[in-house]
Amino acid sequence: MARKYREIGKAGWGYTAITSVVGFVYFFPVLWIILTAFKTRTDALAVPPKLFFTPTLDNFQSVFFRASITTGTSQATDMGLYFFNSIFIAFTSVGLALIVGTLAAYAFSRYPLRGNDTYLFIILTTRMMPPIVVIIPIFLMFRLSGLAGSYWGIILLYTAFNIPFSVWLVKSFFDELNPEIEDAARMDGASERRVFFRFCIPQILAGLSATFVFGLILTWNEFLFALLLTGVETRTVPVAMARTLGGEVGVDYGLLAAIVTLFLIPIFFVTFLLQNQLLRGVTFGTVKK
Amino acid sequence: MSDLRVQNLRREFGPVVALEDMTFDVADGEFFCLLGPSSSGKTTTLRAISGLEDLAGGSVHFAGRDVTDAPVQGRGMSMIFQTFALYPHMTVRANFEHPLLRAGVSSDETRQRVNEVAELLRVTHTLDRKPTTLSGGEQQRVAIGRAIVQRPKLLLLDEPLTNLDAKLRHDMRAEFKRLHRELGMTMLYATPDQLEALTMGQRVGVIRDGRVVAVGAPRDLYQKPNDLYVAQMVGSPPINFLQTSATADNQIELPFLGLPVAASGIASGRPVTLGLRPHDLALAGGGSSRATRFKATINLTEPLGDVTVIDVEAKDAAMKMVLREEVAARYSVGDQIEIGFDPEDLHVFDRDTGARLGNGEAAVVQGEQ
Repeated sequence: MARKYREIGKAGWGYTAITSVVGFVYFFPVLWIILTAFKTRTDALAVPPKLFFTPTLDNFQSVFFRASITTGTSQATDMGLYFFNSIFIAFTSVGLALIVGTLAAYAFSRYPLRGNDTYLFIILTTRMMPPIVVIIPIFLMFRLSGLAGSYWGIILLYTAFNIPFSVWLVKSFFDELNPEIEDAARMDGASERRVFFRFCIPQILAGLSATFVFGLILTWNEFLFALLLTGVETRTVPVAMARTLGGEVGVDYGLLAAIVTLFLIPIFFVTFLLQNQLLRGVTFGTVKK
Repeated sequence: MSDLRVQNLRREFGPVVALEDMTFDVADGEFFCLLGPSSSGKTTTLRAISGLEDLAGGSVHFAGRDVTDAPVQGRGMSMIFQTFALYPHMTVRANFEHPLLRAGVSSDETRQRVNEVAELLRVTHTLDRKPTTLSGGEQQRVAIGRAIVQRPKLLLLDEPLTNLDAKLRHDMRAEFKRLHRELGMTMLYATPDQLEALTMGQRVGVIRDGRVVAVGAPRDLYQKPNDLYVAQMVGSPPINFLQTSATADNQIELPFLGLPVAASGIASGRPVTLGLRPHDLALAGGGSSRATRFKATINLTEPLGDVTVIDVEAKDAAMKMVLREEVAARYSVGDQIEIGFDPEDLHVFDRDTGARLGNGEAAVVQGEQ
């Protein structure tokens, strides 16, 4: 190619303008929902949509406290519990999946079995079919075993769903490591346990972060299983959100937008915290060292 | 005592036999080089000695103890890996400290020893940096430092210079000799580079297909290689080989030479390969004492600065020879020169078995001139 590579940061105004437009188009729905969260009901339903309006926090307040229709007094909603549920269930199950997945991935990478690839493929097949295919048997199993509606039920399910993904991803990180580093650690007197915890894990922290965030996003947004397998006490935010639709007063877009905005925050926060690790994690192994 | 005795090691990777029958000894305090081409089993041998490989057979005795089945940890050996294998998530200081911490050395002594080693290897300024920020030479020295800071009785070196550039490689060769002299530890050095083996090793073991085929001082291997393989592994530029056969008992005809040469212990008609080192060929005339002369044409010249390697052809026999640069400058490609050599420098090998024949030397047949 005759074209010269441009220096980083010197792409020129043309490229900057194009990427800005594309970025704006992609981000617009998010921006719109966040703006709606601060609108009154009239502003939210205005045609054409209002870009300039007097912001209000009423929607956020009514996420947690809502006037009772019968008595007219302010009453706490269960939304706080649902947010706790979402956070607790997602973090626990993704954490568990990462622990189990990392241990399995290390074994698959360092101590291959006869037919290693077959086992890995079998693990992958659990992710091949769409979840809807297995929803009825799983629902029946949960009913029979009493897991339906409990925290452990949904956590175990999400853990099981995240493990294949964790095993595959983390194995690829282990495969990228230089095994001579582990041998050197052994010769320096490190036990097998120490080799794993002090030498392998620290080297793939970026990859583990990436795996954690990907799993978290998937689990955080999961709706189908949560709808069927959580009870009143263990309901997650996506399910609770769906339940605010409909009802006697129609769709309260402001309220919905407020829930969505709050729902974005934890995942945004985690991603923001791990952003440096993430960048390294997703590009892990793509560049020859 | 930290002598090493390696006996009949066998290691298989599926159908591939990496170590066939690896046997050699390294004396206490010796600098021993294992010389062999890639995939001849050098790395596997070092790993087997350190306990990192599962063996199918054989034994490793070290410092008077059978360590064949001993765990990797606590063998009193350390290794410098081809990839350096520095701990990338730790600072250089932590890299140095790790082996000492595991060995239970007190923190005061640890600090002192780390500083000593850093000074010895001139990496003090890098102690608080991560290995990935260091240059190749610095990484190499840190790898050496981590291996010697624990004062191992045996230091295993697995092609430690392969990843360095030529200049650095040259400096590090001297460095290794200096370290060996100063630290006095037993060193086992694996390399595919005959130059490294010959310059550093007190003794060299030549490896072929997972077994040691020759052991000796560099000088002996160069001057009296016991077979064709050793002859071509040792020496640079590589030895010239000439295919011929014995015309009569104890007598060989050279294609480009008018007169036959005598070589004892060779039956008539036997196919032999003659070896003649490029350094043993010289220009005839000008007071040359070389008894045997022949004419040849220059095909190619490769100036190396101080010397020039010249490819010559004499009656279908292609050979390399080495001339001093100022001598070589007088000739150009296509010129005819007269070359002389001493028949005693001829190495005679059996063409089928590759073994050195008779006493392996030749002389001009007297009385036929």
